[in-house]
Amino acid sequence: MKPLVLALEQEPDQRLDLSPLCPHLLEGKSAKEIAEIELQTTREKVTVGDLFHIRAGSAQTIRFEGGSTRLDNIGFEMKSGEIVVEGDCGKSVGRNLSGGNLIVAGDAGPFAGSCMSGGRLEIWGDAGDFLGAPLEGEMEGMSGGLLILRGSAGARAGDRLRRGTILIEGSAGDYPGSRMIAGTLILLGECGVLPGYLMRRGTIVLANPPALAPTFVDCGVHSLAFASVFSRLLEPESRAAAKLLAGPLNRFAGDMAALGKGEILYPA
Amino acid sequence: MLILLKGGRLIDPLNARDEIADLWIEDGRIVAPPQGRQPDQTHDVAGKIVMAGAIDIHSHIAGGNVNTARLLLPELHRTARPGELSLATAKWSTFETGNIYAAMGFTTVVEPAVAPHQALQAHLELSDIPIIDKATLTVLGNDDFLLSLLRDGEGPAAIADYVAATLAASNGLGLKCINAGGATAFKYNARTFGLDDVVPFYDVASRKILEALQRAIQDLKVPHPLHVHCNNLGVPGNVSTAIATIEAARGLPLHLAHLQFYGYGDEGDHGFSSAAAALAAAVNAAPNVSVDVGQVMFQQTVTISSDVLRQFNGVSSAKPRKSVIYDGDANGGGIVPYLYRESDFVNAVQWACGLELFLLINDPWRVFFTTDHPNGAPFTAYPDVFALLMSREARAEAAARVPQDALAHSTLPSIAREYNLNEIAIMTRAAPAKLFGFKDRGHLGEGGIADVAVYSPDKDIAKMFRAAHLVFKDGDLVVRDGRVAHYRWGKALKVNPGYDKAIDRRLAGYYERHFGVSHNMFAVPEHILPHSDPFQEVACAQ
Repeated sequence: MKPLVLALEQEPDQRLDLSPLCPHLLEGKSAKEIAEIELQTTREKVTVGDLFHIRAGSAQTIRFEGGSTRLDNIGFEMKSGEIVVEGDCGKSVGRNLSGGNLIVAGDAGPFAGSCMSGGRLEIWGDAGDFLGAPLEGEMEGMSGGLLILRGSAGARAGDRLRRGTILIEGSAGDYPGSRMIAGTLILLGECGVLPGYLMRRGTIVLANPPALAPTFVDCGVHSLAFASVFSRLLEPESRAAAKLLAGPLNRFAGDMAALGKGEILYPA
Repeated sequence: MLILLKGGRLIDPLNARDEIADLWIEDGRIVAPPQGRQPDQTHDVAGKIVMAGAIDIHSHIAGGNVNTARLLLPELHRTARPGELSLATAKWSTFETGNIYAAMGFTTVVEPAVAPHQALQAHLELSDIPIIDKATLTVLGNDDFLLSLLRDGEGPAAIADYVAATLAASNGLGLKCINAGGATAFKYNARTFGLDDVVPFYDVASRKILEALQRAIQDLKVPHPLHVHCNNLGVPGNVSTAIATIEAARGLPLHLAHLQFYGYGDEGDHGFSSAAAALAAAVNAAPNVSVDVGQVMFQQTVTISSDVLRQFNGVSSAKPRKSVIYDGDANGGGIVPYLYRESDFVNAVQWACGLELFLLINDPWRVFFTTDHPNGAPFTAYPDVFALLMSREARAEAAARVPQDALAHSTLPSIAREYNLNEIAIMTRAAPAKLFGFKDRGHLGEGGIADVAVYSPDKDIAKMFRAAHLVFKDGDLVVRDGRVAHYRWGKALKVNPGYDKAIDRRLAGYYERHFGVSHNMFAVPEHILPHSDPFQEVACAQ
């Protein structure tokens, strides 16, 4: 079936809230109805029709042609279907995502995949700070699903990660996996300072570990059966990640400054 | 301007009126029907119900703990009103507090727990709440100065002077005592504290603190009796503490706050049951005691209390799982978010217990309408509570949804009583005015200030009370059909009991010696507050 295409005609002159443009919200709406949806975050009214050229199609797949760092909340609370952004997007792309497939071909802003609980988010470019992380006040970050970042992440990637997998093919800023509750964070590029800062449980896999905090305890080299199973699972998404997990791994337990049931793994 | 409310049903229990009549307002006051003059403004309120503006006697709307709760729960600000701009909706902002209260026809609200050292901040915050009048109760009972006076065997005169000096400096309307001595004992690692337990180091029993403060308020002739938050809040079997506290009043006036949280027995499989019937009987038999209920409703809320001992014990049940406990001067405090769930046995018992107290305490002049906002439920739940009180059917419907074993030890299913509008008006207007010694409000008599709420009768009782048809504050039309139509600034009500100024010198020495600061550092001078003439004094008895 033909996708619904929203072609961006010009750079918006204010930040926009694109949370109404989700497959389950647009299902059954005509192009005219979609054109009337308001997106503004200031007093100046902006509708979908003002900004996008709309080519009608099934709302189960929405394609944004062109992007902007001012397009916030794309795929907010998305439950099913597919969204493809052929360009950049602003903050909180895929926040509270619970199902479906969301692809960003450009860069994403901060809080990409914030608190997602299912589904799949793939970003081809870079992402800002707080990848998958909760907003202020919330106690849990990402709690399920798969988040793949082909580029690099900012600071605090995977903050308060609760469940699910974050895979970063590029590098990550400082404190990746901070305050992790559980879940898995895999980082193939360079890593900023203090990975796993105050993590309680969960697993961080690093290709290039920096100096770890003294609150991580060396547990020796292991050939973990689970790592090889997980490696096969990751093979279709990222061959480099699969390769990283296939060999023997150093295991450090921590963060002993918190609960200390987490682990950082890196190739032996 | 002369305003006429024409042909409404006036319900005014203080003047024993319930009749179809006209109401005249001029220059902010209710006036007698003027002879031969035409009104400047006429509102046809035929078929509507006209009452005085409601008075909320116990609602935590300002002060340090309220602010800490705002800081702890930023996510509640985001979800306050989905669909609108996120920053415009900070939950329980001062702005929203004034708006929502006014829309429900409330025109006076009392913040019942202001620590003296936070009085300035609390009054600044109150003065930012639009439309309504406000007041504070000042908290004593765990402070070092008072406990030292008691330990050293000082007489009632010194204690009364200290209470009066503190009330005057903090501009309070009355005195509140929260878990007398318990918060101080908490600092010495006490985790339970009863009425006859002794505060370590000070060697003073909780009962003695209570009696001393009750006596001080009596001696100072402050209209509002001592406002007591008893020991053992929320503990199974704590009904015995509440009944002992009622007995400890020895026939003298006493107000027990959020009684629902003390109405628990320890029967049944869960060791937790409603003992509301016994507690209501004790209240019925003690005409010197007034109570407010602190009704629980099933929704997300946050408990904020200066009862640091109780809040510390409640941390493990926080939902979302975060909290703030601070062990500050005197009481300290605790902020613990909580989700009351319909399917939860304990929450269902609490819900039933509150309703039983409302319905089994016979005298509507002594039982007050509160949810202990936000501890039992946010004040936005008031209309739903009115509906439960006024409709047996609504209660039965709600009771069918809770775990039935929670009602096994409760008398709720067998209670047929329904509040009528007259009793609602007593509980929310006339009786609060009497309780606080307000002469100018809570009634529709001539000379009273024109705080008037007009409701459109509706089968849906909650709808009727959620959005008043018209609300006047001091004669200004502030709400029309549940929407705020006009903003204005209310006053803070306070008492000003006289006292022997010698205590000021003692306090000056005390603050200088212990803290190196001036003893009136927490005073609230008028000129600091943003609006002119911010206070109105409520007279103490002669």
